[in-house]
Amino acid sequence: MAKKEITIALAGNPNSGKTTVFNNLTGARQHVGNWPGVTVEKKEGSLSYGGYNIKVVDLPGVYSLTAYSLDEVIARNFVVDENPDVVVDIVDASNLERNLYLAVQLLEMGVPLIITLNMMDMAESRRYRIDVNALVREIGVPVVPMVATRNQGTQELLETVVEVAEGNIEIAGLRLQYGREVEEEIAKLEKVISNNSLSQKYPPRWLAVKLLEEDEEIIKKFKEL
Amino acid sequence: MPLSMVSQGEQVQVVAIRAGWGLQRRLAEMGLNPGVQIRVMNSQRPGPVVIDVRGSRLALGYGIAHKIMVT
Amino acid sequence: MDRDQILQTKDESLAHLRKVYGDEAETVIADARYGFISGLIKDVLRKPVIDRITLSDRIDKVVLNRWLGIPIFLALLYGLFQFTFTLSGPFMGWIDKLFGWLAGFAEGISPSWLSSLIADGIIGGVGSVLVFVPVIFLLYIGLSILEDSGYLARAAFVMDRLMHKIGLHGRSFIPLMLGFGCNVPAIMATRTIENPKDRLVTILVNPLMSCGARLPIYALFAAAFFTTYQGLVVFSLYAIGIALAIIMAWIFRSRLVRGESGHFVMELPPYHLPTIVGVLTHMWERGRVFLIRAGTIIFGVVVFIWLLDYVGVLEPIGRAIAPIFSPAGFGQWQAAVTLVFGILAKEVVVGTFGTLFAVEGEALGEIIATQLSWTPLIAYAFMAMCLIYVPCMATIAIVKRETNSWKWTGFLIGYTLVLGWLVATLIYQIGRVFV
Repeated sequence: MAKKEITIALAGNPNSGKTTVFNNLTGARQHVGNWPGVTVEKKEGSLSYGGYNIKVVDLPGVYSLTAYSLDEVIARNFVVDENPDVVVDIVDASNLERNLYLAVQLLEMGVPLIITLNMMDMAESRRYRIDVNALVREIGVPVVPMVATRNQGTQELLETVVEVAEGNIEIAGLRLQYGREVEEEIAKLEKVISNNSLSQKYPPRWLAVKLLEEDEEIIKKFKEL
Repeated sequence: MPLSMVSQGEQVQVVAIRAGWGLQRRLAEMGLNPGVQIRVMNSQRPGPVVIDVRGSRLALGYGIAHKIMVT
Repeated sequence: MDRDQILQTKDESLAHLRKVYGDEAETVIADARYGFISGLIKDVLRKPVIDRITLSDRIDKVVLNRWLGIPIFLALLYGLFQFTFTLSGPFMGWIDKLFGWLAGFAEGISPSWLSSLIADGIIGGVGSVLVFVPVIFLLYIGLSILEDSGYLARAAFVMDRLMHKIGLHGRSFIPLMLGFGCNVPAIMATRTIENPKDRLVTILVNPLMSCGARLPIYALFAAAFFTTYQGLVVFSLYAIGIALAIIMAWIFRSRLVRGESGHFVMELPPYHLPTIVGVLTHMWERGRVFLIRAGTIIFGVVVFIWLLDYVGVLEPIGRAIAPIFSPAGFGQWQAAVTLVFGILAKEVVVGTFGTLFAVEGEALGEIIATQLSWTPLIAYAFMAMCLIYVPCMATIAIVKRETNSWKWTGFLIGYTLVLGWLVATLIYQIGRVFV
């Protein structure tokens, strides 16, 4: 019986424990190369789980997904161009606020997202109390608590990955409102780009927002049309 | 007043960042933007400053601390 | 709609929003994101009223202290070297014996050229480098501990004030520290430095941070010529490297690569106890590169050198170049040859000596002392030369790739060559007055 394939991308801030999670998932079956055309290291690995062959790609650690640093562009392009089945955002639970900035941007891209709440032990030692259910409700994606250094939560993550890849969990996605005036301009831009080839490939709303942010890469893509 | 003049242990709120675009963006993605509450953990005046912002520790060069306005 | 219309609509929208908000749309959007997150956090996270001062903060109060910071860093660095050299001793002895036994075994092989190739060329050459595996791996263990624990970020912060005076900033520090392992990933790590001028200077100065491949050279000569003070001598070489890096960075920054310095913003992750698995993994990641190089580049070069020697071509080459180094005390053809081939890979310096004198390990050091009439002073000057002069081919290649400029790559090769010769000569000439 042929195994089916799932590709997952690991995203997250630097220092969020992403590497540990990657190691927990892939063990010795890792391979380091380069992202095409650049000298940034690309780590890939694989494992078998639940009858699937799961390929794991470790994206560069980034705080955000703008076009201003090579790492961010690489991370963003992989998500958009390679269309991984699942994107797993490793979030440092003891640093929730800042880490969510990246998660929100991933959600804006409309990707199938799972948030891994790592370093729960650190959060606990600081006596933080996180209401995971409330988080799931408000952010609209599955959340898996984890302590990667103790390899706790890895099974749950894999289960959730399979559920999401199979389409058993609904990703509500996020429709963040930016304020009335901005939303009006977004609507205008969306209409203008609606027939464009780019909006077949990327979510139109996301493109509109990027244009308003004067995102270099996106503007370049439009200019190259 | 600029962050560089805040004493160790004090809690302040960021009012404005008097810097170019690149720096503002950089700081914003690390969680430092106008309106946020921060605490000065370590100050080596004149010299770098360590602050607690949104739960994480950020080390800022002196020049930058000078450009962040707080109350 | 076509692309010009799209771009125009964008500009109109931006202008409108600028008027309405008095701010760039980008800022408003970022604020909206943070606003959402703040609301989310209120519902989802309960923090204690006063965020506890963590153990990490307490440690940082000491480690980041204005007066204690740099001394603590230097002390840790010194401790690292002591740890490396004391513990590696016994292991090196065993490996030494192993190769000695293998060489003896190889001597019985005929034809004689083959036995010479194996005993003198390969075992002498590669063996003399492999003897230092314990030293290299222990150093990498130490570096990994410093990195994994989170201390390295603090070190960068502590050095920032110093770096700032020479026109660099703290972010240059971590790539420089990584240079102690190997210059290649260190130079790749400079990608995190946003300011291109800071980045260029950090790259130019990086090879002065003595890499792991040079360690066998120091270990060899320090043991042979300075036995009791080995650790101190090696530490002094690293310190010279750091000092030169600082001086050259200052010179470059104020003369050649002028311009605004970048901003230092860095996250300080909480300290955590490095895991054994983590440390060993990192050690292995770095160390295996060393082993692979031993098996390939060094092996190849050493055999090639043996061949040149066997056909009698090596000595003339050496003699032709040697006079350049007389003012520095090591104007012998053997030294010249090792320096030339050391450009391919630094470990080859030791490997070449090993092949030429057909020994490895402790005996090699002594043989060099007697056969070349080297004094400790000459050995020290030689080590300084190795520290500074032209980086290895791999480093040169990566510098070209990262700077995308033959001009700067050539400059790197040129200045390190000249500086190395100058420093070695100065050490020897000035030292001669006293010793």
